[in-house]
Amino acid sequence: MTSATHALKRSAKENVYKKGFWQRQKEGFQKNKGILWFIIPAAAFTIVFSYIPMFGVTFAFKDTLFDKAMRSNANILGALAYSNWTLDTFGSIFNDTFFVALSNSLIINLIKLFLVFPLSIILAIQLSEIKSQKLAKLILIILCIPNFLSWTVVIKVWTNFFDPEIGMLGRWLSGLTNGEHITYYEASFKPLFIFYAAWKGAGWGSILYYAAITGIDKSYYESATLDGANKFQKALYLTIPSIGGTIALMLVLNISGFTGVGLEQVKLMLDTGNASAYYQTQWTLDLYIWELSIGQGAGVSYVQAAAVGVFNGFVSLFLMLLGNAITTKTLHRGLW
Amino acid sequence: MKNEKKLSMSYYAIRRRNKVKQPVVDYFIHGVSLFLLFFLVVITLVPLLNYFSLAFNDPNFNQSVTVFPVRWDLSSLAYIFSSKYSGFWRSFLNSVIITLVVTIVSNLVEAMAAYPLSKASCPFKGGIMMFFVITMLFSAGTVPIYLLMRTFNLLDNIWSIILISISNVGNLLFYKNFFENIPKEVEEAAIIDGAGALRTFFNVVVPMALPVFGSCCFFSIVGMWNGYGAALIFIKSSAESQMPLAYYLYIRMTQDATATMYDTFLQTHQDNIQAASLLISIIPILAIYPYVIKYIKGGATIGSVKG
Repeated sequence: MTSATHALKRSAKENVYKKGFWQRQKEGFQKNKGILWFIIPAAAFTIVFSYIPMFGVTFAFKDTLFDKAMRSNANILGALAYSNWTLDTFGSIFNDTFFVALSNSLIINLIKLFLVFPLSIILAIQLSEIKSQKLAKLILIILCIPNFLSWTVVIKVWTNFFDPEIGMLGRWLSGLTNGEHITYYEASFKPLFIFYAAWKGAGWGSILYYAAITGIDKSYYESATLDGANKFQKALYLTIPSIGGTIALMLVLNISGFTGVGLEQVKLMLDTGNASAYYQTQWTLDLYIWELSIGQGAGVSYVQAAAVGVFNGFVSLFLMLLGNAITTKTLHRGLW
Repeated sequence: MKNEKKLSMSYYAIRRRNKVKQPVVDYFIHGVSLFLLFFLVVITLVPLLNYFSLAFNDPNFNQSVTVFPVRWDLSSLAYIFSSKYSGFWRSFLNSVIITLVVTIVSNLVEAMAAYPLSKASCPFKGGIMMFFVITMLFSAGTVPIYLLMRTFNLLDNIWSIILISISNVGNLLFYKNFFENIPKEVEEAAIIDGAGALRTFFNVVVPMALPVFGSCCFFSIVGMWNGYGAALIFIKSSAESQMPLAYYLYIRMTQDATATMYDTFLQTHQDNIQAASLLISIIPILAIYPYVIKYIKGGATIGSVKG
């Protein structure tokens, strides 16, 4: 929307509402009296399960006495009163495990950004190249199936596919390598992780772009053809700029979730297979927080987990603002 | 449709007249992209068929299945249905409860909240919207939510998963956007006819918004049926009676070695039985998959941004 339309809208609003702010709220209240209570249930759930937990930020500023109290099943307020305020937790969380977890999360998400994110766009462009729309939609319907399966199914299906005795690919590969097994050994964890994520999400991700592409006016393509453009040029100079808004939106959303990689997938991939030898080297930030707060190990520490959580929250907020700034600068479109 | 055909005919006519040839590289690109799509379809379907054919394979026979079983046999599926696979049907029921309650309550609550917020005259509209949207930007994190549920005594209880999943601001925004486009006159007519606020909402507004309800409910169902992120936080791996199905299956996949000690049939045919249990777990999703097909064929515009 251009600034001119904004100005127009604003002036229209001002003409309608010459009254003061409180006057308007009062009239609005009178007018909508009967339906305003509709908001209460949703607001109640939001307050109890979103806002009240936000006070948990304070756990990050407490010393280890808080952990001690919580482990002996004290209630939260009691534990808060019992423990002292401190900033030391933030000094203690930046250890090696944390940096390994953080770098794993960032590496996986960076590779995903450069490989999986464009895959959906390329897929949508390829689908739109198919002359028969029926065939394109049939392919899309098939490629969307994995998105509706749970991670348990996805991981199990692929570990089975790699299995040297049952899986088709595994049998073929073990024929090539004289019976050596393909398992989640350390080097292949990240590639496999990204591959599974792509297999699950790429088809579904392309639907949005496919819908956007089918909305583009066909006459642009016709005139480009008359000018002698080939398909690659048309995709690069016509299709991608036309769906720039959708790409920018998805990009910002993608970047804002950059420190998280999906606890379900990581945990499952590390729990199946003989991963104990390198379990910690493949930790991601979500899993690190999980292990710190819920994991059954000896190192359970709520204050540390809360501190990592606070750090995580600030990083993702910063990344979202950064992503929004970048897309507004380069693509002239952003979230707001 | 007719118009389009006419347009494209004239386009071919222009091309013929101007002797515009399709660039040679286009045939290459077209071929490559068709091949790639075909390849993607194959690597989507073959692993799935390869795995689920295990469920139909004779567990006592050769296990080197392809996309079909080597020898058809239903004993693995029968094993699940005979309820010997302890906890499976209990967690199936849990998942049904979780999915139904969350889908119905969450969508009802969010749609109701979206209705007054869709009115331009709603008092403190900006503030209330901010109140909801902030929870999308800042989330409390794992620890406070875990400790909150502990305070409520809801750990190892499916209600912790249900309660934490009900608030869904994304759906609230979808509903609000849709309600804003409903013509005012329709509601006014209902109010003049003497319908109260609730009646206007449920008898006039909701029926008009059914497509939005459809897609929001669909995503709630899929998310609740397949997700076990909340269960990982709230439910201990020993609390078998309070697990959603996806979490139960995850536990079985990772800990089956110890669980199968007392059952020789399960021990020797673990792969077939796991395949059978996973196959049964995806049946509800397969049942609503036609909706996805409709969604894709309809152009998938609901809730999306057109470029």
